[in-house]
Amino acid sequence: MPSNATPTATAPPSDNGHYAISIDGLQHSFGEGALRKQVLFDNRLDVGRGEIVIVTGPSGSGKTTLLTLIGTLRTVQEGSLEVLGQELHGASPKKLVDVRRQIGFIFQAHNLFESLSAFQNVRMAMELFDFTRGQMKDRIVQLLTRLGLGHRVHYKPGALSGGQKQRVAIARGLAHHPKLILADEPTAALDEKSGRDVVGMFQEVAEREKCTILMVTHDNRILDVADRIVNMVDGRIKSNVVVEESSLICEFLKQCPVFVQLTPRTLTHVADQMVLEKHSAGTMVIRQGDPGEKFYLIRDGMVDVVVDGTAPRTVATLGKGDFFGEAALLTGEPRNATVMAKEDVQLYALGNEEFQAVIAESASFEEELRKALFERQ
Amino acid sequence: MTRRVQTPLAWRNLTHEWRRLLIALCGIGFAVVLMFMETGFENALFDSTIKVFEDLNADIVISSKAQYALLAGETFSRRRLYQARGCSGVEGAYPVYFELYRGVWKPPNSKGNPIRVLAFDPRDPVFEIRGVAEQHDALKRPRTALIDTKSKSKHNVPETLDELLVLHGTELSAQSIRLVGMFELGTDFISDGNLIMSSSNFARFFPNRAMGADPLSIVDVGVIHVADGAEVNAVRQRLRRILPGDVEVYTKREFIDHEIEFWAESSPIGFVFALGTMIGFLVGVIICYQIIYSELADHMAEFATLKAMGYRNRYFIVFVLRESFYLSVLSFVPGLLVSLALYEGLARNTGLLMILNFERALLVFLLTIAMCIVSGCLAMNKVLAADPADLF
Repeated sequence: MPSNATPTATAPPSDNGHYAISIDGLQHSFGEGALRKQVLFDNRLDVGRGEIVIVTGPSGSGKTTLLTLIGTLRTVQEGSLEVLGQELHGASPKKLVDVRRQIGFIFQAHNLFESLSAFQNVRMAMELFDFTRGQMKDRIVQLLTRLGLGHRVHYKPGALSGGQKQRVAIARGLAHHPKLILADEPTAALDEKSGRDVVGMFQEVAEREKCTILMVTHDNRILDVADRIVNMVDGRIKSNVVVEESSLICEFLKQCPVFVQLTPRTLTHVADQMVLEKHSAGTMVIRQGDPGEKFYLIRDGMVDVVVDGTAPRTVATLGKGDFFGEAALLTGEPRNATVMAKEDVQLYALGNEEFQAVIAESASFEEELRKALFERQ
Repeated sequence: MTRRVQTPLAWRNLTHEWRRLLIALCGIGFAVVLMFMETGFENALFDSTIKVFEDLNADIVISSKAQYALLAGETFSRRRLYQARGCSGVEGAYPVYFELYRGVWKPPNSKGNPIRVLAFDPRDPVFEIRGVAEQHDALKRPRTALIDTKSKSKHNVPETLDELLVLHGTELSAQSIRLVGMFELGTDFISDGNLIMSSSNFARFFPNRAMGADPLSIVDVGVIHVADGAEVNAVRQRLRRILPGDVEVYTKREFIDHEIEFWAESSPIGFVFALGTMIGFLVGVIICYQIIYSELADHMAEFATLKAMGYRNRYFIVFVLRESFYLSVLSFVPGLLVSLALYEGLARNTGLLMILNFERALLVFLLTIAMCIVSGCLAMNKVLAADPADLF
């Protein structure tokens, strides 16, 4: 019985046991009656304080809807959505606004007031709280200067370029020391340097103030800043990968002969889909006769491959870098052997569906696998 | 509780685009002018009509009970004045004669037009019209009259006294008449010119006004002077008791109010002008609503962003109300100035009294504010509907 199998690769860091965002069974639909269209299906996600999460997915995947729900901008219809310790489902309008004020929004459009200077636009975000005039001034000037607008603090949007206006909008989203930042393509309108400045600021607030950041972005230049990447397709969270873990898996896979043939893209894809499983010594990983569900790659530790019969015998012992479980997935037959953990092992597991997808993508991979399978017989 | 700092967003938004603001001020200012004109006409109606009564040198006024307004032309017997003289506290009781309809003034080489004729004994101190007292002697001469310089141009009033004195060929009701002087009174909605003459001359020009009897035996307005030390109200009460029920005894103020009351409540004209003011108000509401609405619509994304930041509905309500108030105040000033100019022009053209005093300006100012606040309330739903969820 596998223990410690978690849908997320690693438990996210938390503060006081509270996640910044905790989603369970979240559904959402638009429209009424015959025109009712469901856009979010049974989503689960936990984001810890201080995490930087990037949400990706094609248009129509529901990621925008998810963001609006987390931001209290839409009412939760079904399921549980806890943001900054407050349950939003059924929350009163007052509570929603209280949560909202702890969030900093960065939209794709800057939406600055043309009649106000950059300074005043940013200050509007701070005026809801009890900052003194001096505190606000210091904070705003500091933010704008860090974003390269120190000499344009009192310029109106009419005198600023598109990228500069977007930076003002970003300063506005950060000014009031929010605990959660929701950003939609924050760097799309910015050049390389500005983009990195912004991302640097995100990292800073995430680390120093434990501010959680949730970003929707397609900007490849800043993907490296994420702690975790959540991929959504058709209203469901398809993958939720801690970036660090994913790259570790990738590195590991590259060292395995059978995987080395794969294109980097497929490799990353496989690494994203793989889930870390830990099994204690003496436990069974797969049982002979069971239908084949997963493909396993040993990260650490040793396993015994045992064939039942009149006299059970150990046919092989596998260690780090070896794989098993491919036979049943390739042939469609039940498991032909039992695999027992000889000691505490860490395994990367790949589900059957994903496994088949990789097979379909790479002919050479399939060839390698079949070759290995044949050799094993 | 310390007051939080607040950016004056409403003011900034309004003044940022000055071209748009200018157009807005013109639009709302137009409604302000409309309201000023309508209230101006209504007040002109009252002010002009009672001017002749304001100019009466009277403590108490007597008129026929049937006289619901000056235009009624109802008279009372001169005997009542004799009776009044006998009452204690009465120092003098003098007749004033009005001819509203039968006086036809014909300047030389011109056609005749109806004109109002006021008449009294030049020895009686009944009028406080400027210049009249000095010309009492001239009025004693036969077939003479003074003419109101504010009479409408059709009456061909000479510009200067010299021109006037050499004028001949003038007629009143088909009889020859000579002008011997000028005075200043003003027209009203019934009469567009005035002549002043002595009562003896009046009897000559209108001999049949009493249907066979002495033309001066029926009086339009009786002027009573109260003796020094006597109390006006007490004397008025006494006169009421003494005089029979075919006359009404008023203080001067009551007499004026009585005239105004007719115009305000019984005549349709007062109502028509009040309605006109309402229409001006509605026009202003519509124009101001359009202005505020379009300004809100143009910045929906920005307002939605504020909502996402956590600004509550109350903020936006106050914002719109602030904008409405600023618009009203900013539009009022040019509206007031244009109206002042129009009042001036109209007064000169028609001879009517177009007076803009503080109370009247204040009334229109309050109406302007109310007008813009109403528009603001109507337009408010737009900004309250801004949805931050649409920003993603």
